[in-house]
Amino acid sequence: MPTHTAAFSGPTRLQDNTDLLELVNENKAHVSRRVYVDPELYQIEQERLFRRAWLFLAHDTELPNKGDYVTRNLAGESVVLVRGDDGVVRGFLNSCRHRGMKLCRADNGSIPFFRCSYHGWTYSRTGALRAVFAKDLYQDANLRKEELGLIPITRLDSYKGLIFGSWSNEVPPLPDYLGKMRFYLDLFLGRTDGGTEIVGTPQIWNVEANWKFPTDNFTGDNFHLYSTHGSVVELGLVPPDPMSLSYGHLIRAEGGHVLHVVPGAPIPAYEFFGLPKQLLPQLERNLNPAQLGLAKKYAFSVGTVFPNLSFLQVMIQGDASSPPTPFLSFRFWEPTGPTSTRVWSYLFIDKEASPEYRKASYETYVRTFGPSGIFEQDDLENWEECSRVNKGQIAQRYGLHHGMGVHLQPDPDFPGPGDAWPGSYGERTQLAFYGEWQRWLTQPTPWVRP
Amino acid sequence: MAALADATDPLGAAVSAASKAIAVTVPAGAPEYCEVVDWLYREARMLDQGEFNSWLALMAPEIIYTMPTRTAVNPKDGQGFDHDFGLFAENHASLSARVARLNTDQAWAEQPRSRTRHFVSNIIVERESNTDLKVTAAFMLTRLRSNRPLDIFTGERQDTLRRDGKLLKLARRLILLDQTVIESHNLSIFF
Repeated sequence: MPTHTAAFSGPTRLQDNTDLLELVNENKAHVSRRVYVDPELYQIEQERLFRRAWLFLAHDTELPNKGDYVTRNLAGESVVLVRGDDGVVRGFLNSCRHRGMKLCRADNGSIPFFRCSYHGWTYSRTGALRAVFAKDLYQDANLRKEELGLIPITRLDSYKGLIFGSWSNEVPPLPDYLGKMRFYLDLFLGRTDGGTEIVGTPQIWNVEANWKFPTDNFTGDNFHLYSTHGSVVELGLVPPDPMSLSYGHLIRAEGGHVLHVVPGAPIPAYEFFGLPKQLLPQLERNLNPAQLGLAKKYAFSVGTVFPNLSFLQVMIQGDASSPPTPFLSFRFWEPTGPTSTRVWSYLFIDKEASPEYRKASYETYVRTFGPSGIFEQDDLENWEECSRVNKGQIAQRYGLHHGMGVHLQPDPDFPGPGDAWPGSYGERTQLAFYGEWQRWLTQPTPWVRP
Repeated sequence: MAALADATDPLGAAVSAASKAIAVTVPAGAPEYCEVVDWLYREARMLDQGEFNSWLALMAPEIIYTMPTRTAVNPKDGQGFDHDFGLFAENHASLSARVARLNTDQAWAEQPRSRTRHFVSNIIVERESNTDLKVTAAFMLTRLRSNRPLDIFTGERQDTLRRDGKLLKLARRLILLDQTVIESHNLSIFF
C-alpha cells in the first residue's frame, strides 16, 4: 500500500525576512497579530503543523455498523472513514486512483464497497482495488491492482471514542502524543462504563475567523465571561461575582494540550461536573483516586487537545426557569483558509445517561452554545471581528498582549500531571498553546522535548 | 436519521398524528387562508423591524420551536434531517430568554442589529382540528451585518397556528434549512 509522509522542510523565515521565532515570545507574553491572518504563514502552518500532527476526524459512534462511512477533511484532504467487516474503522483519501474522482459524495451513509461513479472502479472496504470496467482491455502488466488500492490515511488511531488521523510517519503514536492530557480526557471520556456517544449529527458552520481565535478562547479563557457574555450576566444566568470563574486552576499538560478546571457553587449539586447522581458509582470505579478527587471538586472545565480539538464541560442554565444542567461538547476547529474556519460542534453524552438527562443536556447545550446559543453567538462575533481588524498592515505593527498571571508559580500540591497554576483567570495556557504552535513551525521534531 | 421531516420528530409526533387523521386543505383565497397569510406577513415585519417583544406575544405558551441539523445523504437515506440534534430546541421560556437578551445592551452579536428580511411564500394551509392550522411555507431570510457578505438562509417552515380566541398563536415551528453547513458565523436571529 502506498503511504504519504509529511516531512519537515523549508525556511524558518517569512518572505519579508521575519523570523518565525519572533511571532511568539512566551517570556514576553507577546503574540504577533500575523499569526491570525497571514496567508504565507497559513501555508507554512498547513505543511508543518496540520500535515504532521494528529487531528480529530470523528467519534467512533458516528459509524456504528459495518459498512457505515463518514466523509471528512484531514489537513485539507478529502478523506473517508469506513467500518469494515472486522469492525475496524479504516480511513482513505476519498479519491479514486483512476481519475481522482471523489468516491463517497454524501456526508455519511452505508456501503458494501466503494464504487467510483465516474468509470466504475470498485474497491473493498479495506481499500483494495477489486474490479475495473472492461478489464479484458488491459494487459495485466498495465494494471497492477495491488498497486492501485485506495491511499490510506498514514496514521489512524483512536482514544476513548475519538478517532484521530495524521499524514506523518514520524509523529509519535497517539497515546504518546496525547501524553499527560489522557489523565484529563479520562475525566470526560472514561468516567462511565460505556464511555461517551454523540447525540445526533454535529452542528457545522463556517466562520470568517482564523482557527486560533476559537482555540485561544478554549485554552482556558475564563475572564471573557463578564464582558463578552454581559447579556447573560444581566439575565442572571451566571453568578454576579465577576471573579466567579477564577477560583480554579490553569493546567499545561505538555505538548500544547491545556485546560482549566473550576469549581462551581460550594454545594453538592456542583460536584462531579453536576452529573446525575445515578452515574456517580460508575465514576468511582472508572477513575483513579486522583482523577476522582478532581472530578468531585469541579463543575467546569474547558480545554484543547493540540492543535485544534477543544472541549467544554459546563453546568449552566439555558433560561431563568431551567435548573443548571451539565453538558459536554467537543469542538473541531477545521482551518479552511487564513481567516476562515469550519466549526464542528458535537454534543457528547455518557452512554448510560437517562433519557431525561439526555434531553435536558441537549436543550441546555443548544440554547447556550453552538451558533444559536445565547453565549456563543457573541463569541463568534468576537472571533470574526478580531480576524478582520488584524488584517490591517498598521495594526500588525503592534503585538498582542497575553500577560495575565504569567508571574505566578505552579501549584506543587495540585494532584494532576503537568503544570497547574492557581487561579483560573490568566494567560499561561494561551501562551503554552502559541509556544507549541511555534515549535511545530520551526522544529523538525517538535515532539522531542528537552 | 429521519426519512421525512416530521415522521420521527418526537416533538412533532402528536401534531403529525392529528394531521393525518383529519387534515383538510384550506384553499388559497379562502378567508382563513388570507388570515394566515396576513399573520405570516405581519410576523415577518415584526422580526425585520426588531419588534421582538411583539413577536414573542405571537407565541402560544406551549410553543415548540426547533431546527434540526442536516447532512447531505443519498436519496435512499432520506432528507438528512436529524431530529435528535439541532440548531434550535426552544420552548416559551427559552425564546423569552433570547428576547430578554436582545433587550439588554450587551448582546454584542446584535449590537449593531443585523438587518434582516424575511420572505415567505409557497404557503399551504391545512386544517388539523377545530383550533389548529398546519401551515407549510418556503422562506428566504437575508441578513446583513458588519463587513460580512450577505447571509442567505432558505428552507421550509412547518408551523402549527392555534386559535386562541380571535387571535392565532404559533404553537409549533419546525424549521427545515436547506443548508447542511451554516454559511454564517452565528444564528443570532429568529426564523
